[in-house]
Amino acid sequence: MKDDAPIFGFNAAREDIVRSVVSRVVLSAKDPLLALNDAAYHETKRLEASKRGPEEQKELAEWQKLARSLGRMGDGERREKLASLVEHMGWDVAGNFDPRVFKVSSKLLPPVVTSLLAPRTLVRLARDPKRLVSLSALDDKVRVEGPVEELRELSRHGTAVYVPTHLSNMDSIVFGYALERAGLPPATYGAGKNLFTNPVLSFFMHNLGAYRVDRRIRHNLYKDVLKTYSCVLLERGYHSLFFPGGTRSRSGGVERRLKLGLMGTAIEAYARTLIANRERRVYFVPATINYLITLEAETLIADFLAEAGKGRFIIEDDESSRLGRVTSFMRKMFDMQGAVVIRFGKPIDPFGNVVDERCRSFDRRGREVDPSSYVKDDGGRVTLDPVRDAQYTRELGDEICKAYLRETVVLETHVVAAASFERLRRASPAGDLFTVLRQRDVVVVPRDDLARDVVKLRDRLVELADRGEIVVGGFLRTASGGDIVERALRAFAGYHASPVLASRPDGIAIADTNLLFYYQNRLAAHGMAWDVIAPPGMAPARPPVFAKPASPEATQGGLS
Amino acid sequence: MTEREAPSVGVVGGGPWGRALATAARRTGAEVVLHSRRDQADSDPGLHVTVDYAEVAKARLVVIAVPSSVARSVLRALGDHLGGQHLVVHGVRGLGVDELTTVSDLVREETPARRLGALGGPVQAGELIEGRPSAMVIGSRFPEVLTAVTRAFQSPSLKVYGTNDLRGLEWASALVGCLSIGVGYAEEAGAGPGLLAALISRAVDEAARLMAAAGCEERTMFGLGGYGDLLASIALEDRPEVVLGKALARKVPLDQAIAMAKLRVEAIPLIPRIVRFADERRVEANTFRTLSEILAGGRPQAMLDRMFAGSS
Repeated sequence: MKDDAPIFGFNAAREDIVRSVVSRVVLSAKDPLLALNDAAYHETKRLEASKRGPEEQKELAEWQKLARSLGRMGDGERREKLASLVEHMGWDVAGNFDPRVFKVSSKLLPPVVTSLLAPRTLVRLARDPKRLVSLSALDDKVRVEGPVEELRELSRHGTAVYVPTHLSNMDSIVFGYALERAGLPPATYGAGKNLFTNPVLSFFMHNLGAYRVDRRIRHNLYKDVLKTYSCVLLERGYHSLFFPGGTRSRSGGVERRLKLGLMGTAIEAYARTLIANRERRVYFVPATINYLITLEAETLIADFLAEAGKGRFIIEDDESSRLGRVTSFMRKMFDMQGAVVIRFGKPIDPFGNVVDERCRSFDRRGREVDPSSYVKDDGGRVTLDPVRDAQYTRELGDEICKAYLRETVVLETHVVAAASFERLRRASPAGDLFTVLRQRDVVVVPRDDLARDVVKLRDRLVELADRGEIVVGGFLRTASGGDIVERALRAFAGYHASPVLASRPDGIAIADTNLLFYYQNRLAAHGMAWDVIAPPGMAPARPPVFAKPASPEATQGGLS
Repeated sequence: MTEREAPSVGVVGGGPWGRALATAARRTGAEVVLHSRRDQADSDPGLHVTVDYAEVAKARLVVIAVPSSVARSVLRALGDHLGGQHLVVHGVRGLGVDELTTVSDLVREETPARRLGALGGPVQAGELIEGRPSAMVIGSRFPEVLTAVTRAFQSPSLKVYGTNDLRGLEWASALVGCLSIGVGYAEEAGAGPGLLAALISRAVDEAARLMAAAGCEERTMFGLGGYGDLLASIALEDRPEVVLGKALARKVPLDQAIAMAKLRVEAIPLIPRIVRFADERRVEANTFRTLSEILAGGRPQAMLDRMFAGSS
C-alpha cells in the first residue's frame, strides 16, 4: 500500500533528479569565477590539512591546477568547468534506494546485528530474506509513540519532513525502523559521509535511501548542490528526514538551537510546486529519539568536555564503528523493555501552523489558513524569496525546539543520573562543573536515600508531564524508587565499559561522573537537572515553578 | 460615481495615535482605512473609517495602534479576517507582564499572520498630525515589511528607518517607557543638565544590557528606537510617563499621580517585572531598581542619590 511512495521509484528517477539539480545550480550561479575560486580555495585548504592518500593527492593537484588556470579561462569555459564540477558533486550526493534491502533491513536489522554477523554476510543474507529470523521480538523493546494514525493518513496528502533529535549514529536506522513499524512510508535523508565509510553502518546507509553529505567540504557550491538536491526531492514528494541539530548532541541534551539550512529548502520546494501549478504541501514532524543508554555516550561526552574549541566536528572512530560495541549495544536493547522510545510530535506546516490529517493548516486559534498565502507577494503571485523563507524557517526552528521539550521521553537512566548528579553537586557545593566531575568514586549514597531522591524527582517530572511539558512513561510513573534505580543500574551495567554506578554494601557509589553528567543532561533544558549546557548566548533553563508548596518560590525574589 | 480604491493601509485604533498614523499614511498618498470602535465622522473626508475588521483586512498592510491592555482581544477579533498574505505591524508600547511577551508574540498567537513588524522611535502623534518633521523606526525581519511600511509612511516630513531587530525594538520601546518616568522624576527633583545626561546615559546602558540578556541586539537600545525615543522625553512635558514621574517627585501618591497622567502608563507594572528579570539573569539594574522604589513611594533626594550611586 505504501509502496507507492516516490522513494520506491527513486532509482529510475535518479538521473532525472541529478540533472535538475545540476541545471538549477549552474543556472543560478551568477558569477562562475567567484564560485570556482571559492571552491578551489576551500578544497585546497582542506586537502592540504588532511592526511593525504594517493586519492587526495590527486584531488589536491587538480584543484591547484584549476585555481591557477581560472584567470585565463573565458566565461564559457568557466561555465563548462562549473557544470562538470556540479555534476560530479550531484552524483556524489545522490543516494541509492534498494526496496529489497529496505524491506528486509527495516524489519530484520536488529536481530541481524545481534547475531554478530559481519556486514559482508549481511549483504549475502539480504538477498535471501527468508533465512533471517523475524524481528517482531524487537517490538516491545523499541516503542513508537505519537499521533501515528494521523501521520499515516497525512503522508498521503503531503510531503513529510521528519525532524528528530539526534544522539547517535543509530538514529537514522532506528528512525527508519520506527517509520516502518508505524506503517509510514520510508524517508530519504542526508547522512554524513563518514557513515558511509563506517564499516558497520555503511551497508544500510547505501541502501536505505540516504544521500551523502560530506561535512568536510565547506565551499558554497557544494552547499548549493546539497540544498538544491534536498529541494528537488521534496518538490517531487519524497518524504525526507533531517537532523536539524546538525550533529549528534555532544552533551546528551535536547537540541535548543538548530541548523536551519536544509529545513529552509522545504518552503522553496512548496513554492515551486505552487508555481508549477501542482501544489503539494509540505509538513514537518518533530520527533524525539530517546535511549535508555546511548551507543556513543562515552565518546560524545568526552568530546563535549574537551577544552573549548578542541571538540571534534566529525568523529569517525567512535563506538558506532566498532562491531563489538554495536553488538553489545544491540544485546542490551534486546534485554530491556522500552530501551528506545521514538516519539512523533504533532505535525506543523513550514509556517508554524498545526496541520490536520488532510494536511490543512490551522492557526493557533484554530482558524484554517491557506499556506500558499505565506509565499505570495503584493500582487498575489507566488514568489521564491530566500530571505523571507529564512525568517519563516527560523521561527519554525523555535517551534520545533519547543516540541522537542514537550516530546522528550524521560527514561529511568535520566532520572537516576539526575538524582545522583545532584548528590555529587551537594558534595562540592561551590564547585564548578569540572570540580564536580572530578569526584569519581568519592560519593556513596545509601540506597534508600537515592531511591527517595529519585521518587521526589519523578513526582515533579510527572507533574510536568501532566502539564504537557515532558513525557513520563508507564513504568517510571508507577514504579518504586528502588525499582527505578535497579532498572537504571541494569541498563548501565554490561554496556558501558566501566561501571557508571557501582553497587556497594554501604550504598550506590557514584563512579563514572562523566556518563552521569551525559544522562542527566537530557533533563537540563527542562530545568529539571543542572543546566550547564545551554548554547552560547542562551540563559540556562530555570527550574519550572510547581504548584506544590515544596517548590523553591522563595528564590523568585518577588516584589514586596 | 467614483469607486473607492482597494485600501493599501489599514489602521486599527481610533485613538490619537491611530489617527495620527492614518494621517501620516494619507500624506504619502496611501488609501487608508481606519478601524475605530466609535463610528465618528472624521475631519478628514478622504479617510475611510469603519467599525468592520473585514474592511481593514482588505489592506495588505495592517497597523495596530490600540492600547496594550486591549491588544489581545482586538487581535483575536481581527485575526478572523487575516491570512498569511498580511503584513501586520504594531505601534503598541509595552511588554506582557507575566512572561515578558512582546506584542508581536501576541500577533503570532492570535492571528495567522507571520510577516510582522513594530513601529518605534521618537515620533509623536502631534508631529504626524501637523506634518512637522520627525523620525520613526520600523523593525521587522522581513524586508518586504520594511519596504511596505517605508512606502506607506515616509514623506518629506517623516523619515522612516528600518531595523531587523524586531524584538529589540519592542523591548527598547517598552524600556524607554519605564525610563521616561525617571526622566520626569529627575527633572522635577532638580537635576541639572549634566546630571540628567549622566542618568539617561547610564540608564540606556543598563537597558541595553537587559536587552542583550533577553536575546535582543544591544545596539538597538543605543539607536533611534531606544536612546532617540528617550531623548524626546526631555522635551515632552505632557508625555504620560513624564507627568507621572514629575508628580511622584513632588511626593504625590501613586494613585493620584496615575490620574494626573491621564493615559494609562504601561510601565508601572512592568518596572518591578524588569527588576525580577534582571535578578534572574544576574544583570545589574540599579536604575530599574530605583524606579521600582520610587513607585513604591521612596523619598526623592535619597532616590536621586541612589540612582546615581551603584558601581562603575
